[in-house]
Amino acid sequence: MSDSVAVPVNTGRKKRGGLAEVLFRLRKSPLAMFGLIFIVFLAFIAIFADGLAPYPYQKQNLMHSYETPSQQFLLGTDEFGRDILSRLIYGARISLQVGFIAVGIALVIGGMLGATAGYYGGWIDNGIMRVMDVLLSVPQTLLAIAIAASLGPGLFNLMIAVGISAVPRYARIVRGSVLSIREMEFIEAARAVGSSDLRIILKHIIPNSMAPIIVQSTLGVASAILNAAGLSFIGLGIQPPYPEWGAMLSGGRQYIRDYPHLTLYPGLAIMLTILSLNFLGDGLRDALDPKLKR
Amino acid sequence: MKKSGFVVLLMVLLVGLCGAADAAAKDILIVADQYDATTMDPIAHNDVPSSRVCYELYDTLVFLDNEGNVSPGLAESWEFLSGTEYKFNLRKGVKFHNGEEMKAADVRYSMMRATTDAGAKIATYSQNVKDVEVVDDYTVIVHLKKIDYSFFSSLAHSWGSVINEKATEAAGDSYGMNPVGTGPFKLVSWQKGNKYILERFEDYWGPKPKYKTLEVRSVPEPTSRTIALETGDADIAFPIVHNDLKRIEENENLVLFRRPQNSTAYIGFNVTKKPFDDVNVRQAIYAALDIVGIQAASYRGVGKVPGTLIPSAVKYSINDEIPPHVQDVEKAKKMLADAGVKDLKLEIWTNERKERVDSATIVQAQLDEIGIKSEIKVLEWGAYLNGLMEKKHDLFILGWVSTVPDPNFAVSGLLETTAIGASNYTFTSDPKLDEMLDKGRSLPDGDERAAIYKEMQLYINAQLPMIYLHNDESIAGTQKNVKGFAPRSNEIHSFRGVYFE
Amino acid sequence: MILYIVRRILFLIPVLIGVAFCVFTLLYLTPGDPARMVLGEMATESAIQEFRRKEGMDKPFLIQFGNYIYKAVTKGDIGSSYITKRPVMNEIMATFPSTLKLAAFAIVIAVIIGLPCGILSAIKQYSIFDTLTMIFAMIGLSMPVFWLGLLLILLFSVYLRWLPPSGFDTFKAMILPSLALSAQSISMITRMTRSSMLEVVRADYIRTARAKGQKESVIIWVHALHNALIPIVTLCGLQFGQLLAGAILTESIFAVPGVGRLMVESIKMRDYPVVQGGVLFVAVAFSLVNLLVDLLYAYIDPRIKAQYR
Repeated sequence: MSDSVAVPVNTGRKKRGGLAEVLFRLRKSPLAMFGLIFIVFLAFIAIFADGLAPYPYQKQNLMHSYETPSQQFLLGTDEFGRDILSRLIYGARISLQVGFIAVGIALVIGGMLGATAGYYGGWIDNGIMRVMDVLLSVPQTLLAIAIAASLGPGLFNLMIAVGISAVPRYARIVRGSVLSIREMEFIEAARAVGSSDLRIILKHIIPNSMAPIIVQSTLGVASAILNAAGLSFIGLGIQPPYPEWGAMLSGGRQYIRDYPHLTLYPGLAIMLTILSLNFLGDGLRDALDPKLKR
Repeated sequence: MKKSGFVVLLMVLLVGLCGAADAAAKDILIVADQYDATTMDPIAHNDVPSSRVCYELYDTLVFLDNEGNVSPGLAESWEFLSGTEYKFNLRKGVKFHNGEEMKAADVRYSMMRATTDAGAKIATYSQNVKDVEVVDDYTVIVHLKKIDYSFFSSLAHSWGSVINEKATEAAGDSYGMNPVGTGPFKLVSWQKGNKYILERFEDYWGPKPKYKTLEVRSVPEPTSRTIALETGDADIAFPIVHNDLKRIEENENLVLFRRPQNSTAYIGFNVTKKPFDDVNVRQAIYAALDIVGIQAASYRGVGKVPGTLIPSAVKYSINDEIPPHVQDVEKAKKMLADAGVKDLKLEIWTNERKERVDSATIVQAQLDEIGIKSEIKVLEWGAYLNGLMEKKHDLFILGWVSTVPDPNFAVSGLLETTAIGASNYTFTSDPKLDEMLDKGRSLPDGDERAAIYKEMQLYINAQLPMIYLHNDESIAGTQKNVKGFAPRSNEIHSFRGVYFE
Repeated sequence: MILYIVRRILFLIPVLIGVAFCVFTLLYLTPGDPARMVLGEMATESAIQEFRRKEGMDKPFLIQFGNYIYKAVTKGDIGSSYITKRPVMNEIMATFPSTLKLAAFAIVIAVIIGLPCGILSAIKQYSIFDTLTMIFAMIGLSMPVFWLGLLLILLFSVYLRWLPPSGFDTFKAMILPSLALSAQSISMITRMTRSSMLEVVRADYIRTARAKGQKESVIIWVHALHNALIPIVTLCGLQFGQLLAGAILTESIFAVPGVGRLMVESIKMRDYPVVQGGVLFVAVAFSLVNLLVDLLYAYIDPRIKAQYR
């Protein structure tokens, strides 16, 4: 699992486009629209899982184990006779939770560190970024595994492990965009009229460095979901009976020859989600940065 | 000396003839195991893959067959001088892989080394050794601290392997990677985590293997092991998982072997923690569980639900005489109410083994029906053992293998007071049980000993420190042309006698 | 230039000490007593105390860490495995060749497939080929390696019986893991090649070349590719570093005896010296590959070289 889904992001952003403008540009890319629609759809499923799922995710029916898709069980059942569709639906909730919260953690911590480093420069910048360099020199997957092992298994710990391991990336990106904005004239102007540092950072710098951060976060959610699934796959993730997709995949691999549907659907679910987020991230990059538009 | 020389000559001739008869015979045996050995030092482990390789590299004083019968190994004969003194007459002319002759001093060195901290992992077997007296080069007397009739058969376990003093001392800490034994195979190379290659030891004292090279690969994925068998990449593969049994059975090029194993998987209670200190609560939880259904759903036709803690193949077991458990949800609810337990919440711990996680998942669903909310924690081995040591657990799933087929070892390590702080994770400390265990060890085999163990099994069932879940099977698949192989009930499968047809 | 290299390598030292400190802290906080894991369930209390004393685990945290660094710096000794008792360096070196082979194979596959696909996509921008390639690249990028691995096993080992699903000894056995591992790199190289080719094609000197009447194939393969190569080479290098370190899941699916699997197993067995040494080793390898990439970068693009002075 090489985790760098992100392609270097162009940080120089000159003009501010409204949300409408971005959506308008996004509409021109069918793939990005596909991604957006799928993610919205997934979020809908995740929120209304209780109403949508035909069965509770942990409902066992040992008489009906390993069933192939049928009218009663649309995507078949697993080794306990649990409905795979229902588990996928609840799994969407878990995966999106992990993805967004992990990125949230990474963004808040990484963003603050990066903004502080970029804005103040000097020894603060040096200190923070050297620590980030240290963390960056350990591959993210390995870092996540080490953190997950030391925290123990569980949903919350998984989010923390994946989130913390992504902090340095965000710190770097935010610092980059803050650096490029810091020297701009309107910041000078704000400083001249006596705005406080905090106000400048919150009011001017962060909003103006949003574009690359949004793009990176979209791609980051994808990589967080992938990372979490990977950790669950090697047994450091979520506990049964919770239906995390990576754990479902891992649980079904022994039966891959007899009952491939046990691994097929969760795999497909992960792939489609990541694919959509990547399409969306790509589309957003193009939409937010006219320079890169093809 | 002359006589044994003649025997060896005869054997060489025989082997030579066999070889000549089929010049193109396959000369390498490839085995697909689940895990790699952790060490090749016979006293530095207590895991099955390591014991298996030690079985090929070393010999023990006595051998034990699948039925539990003892036969001469490095000792030609023995004599019980008293309950605590065993005299062994050693075989002469036995060579170590480094060319030295095996003598009484080596036996003493091996056994005394096992009583030091280096042998912490097998202390359960070695702790009773007081001294080993060297009478002459070919005679030793083992002195025990106290009478223990389960000791003798434990000598056939890999801990009783005789090692070479000079080679061991020279290798120091790295001995585990540089083993020197007297066994039919010697180590050629070992790529940790992948495979080891052994080669026939041409100066072996006993019947020499009929093939030259033994290669054991570690293949953790069950599907991959079966595929390796099907494609002919492996001659022998084990363990085979339940969903591949039919596949191998129906393949006309392959043979499937199944044999009941001396092991018990169980759901243990932390009996020091409320409310699990109350035997009625334990019985209530037991009543709530459809153990037969859980075992069937998790293990899918492999093994069986145990009736007692002592596996069937071990002597004095009444494992098969206990009627099957019947789930009774109403009784469970009533017992729980009578015990004054309401709104019980608990955790079920297990390690990553799939069947155990599966069992825990079903247990969770069934406990829910009597109003017990539970949470499953799948822990990796390190965190698991540590949590158990710290008594943080409620219910936990673990397994126990009686590598040495004596009833004492099936019970003492799990439930005796002295095993607290070691492998007694239910923290059971029951003076009556301890007394019975003591008595069982002090009696020679016979009716009196049988009676004690029968009483003990029923007593444990009534106290219920653990719910028995599963007696496993040793299952292996081989190519049709592989002969002379049979899985062993303690999983220490042997490849010494394998040949191709 | 040499000064630059020296500086970069010197800079590695504090980074590595930092990494060591982070890992040390993490392991210190990890539940699971190594002494008990190593000595087994039946170990006596005295054996456990002796083990702790011998491994220096009875000392305060900072002293333990100080000792580790002191030994590593003065003697190059990063400890011995608790379990095999062999020096950690031997353990790592026994597994590293497999990982190296795996990563090298994967990157070669990625370049062989990714480069031409990217170039063709750029030449035929907006064509069906381009669109399909880009979609496939995105799928490759989104494919969880553990799922792809299972699918490959299902197809090539179970149904077709062409390739073995495990065992990393023969060339045949290396194909599936390398393929699974390379999927992401193929996609990234394809995308990067395409975009940097497109950027170059629009450049003035290409227009000049066209105006001079050069053959189109010469323009593409000689002028454009040469200049588009810089970011591609960078990416390949970075990818190689990632693959070296990121093969953990691939190794565990295909039972490749590599560093990644060693790490995971060691974490599970609480073999701390191996985890500690392994992470350091990976960090060094990762940083050195990145350094090499930077140097290569400078070699290809003289403008960058000038900055290093």
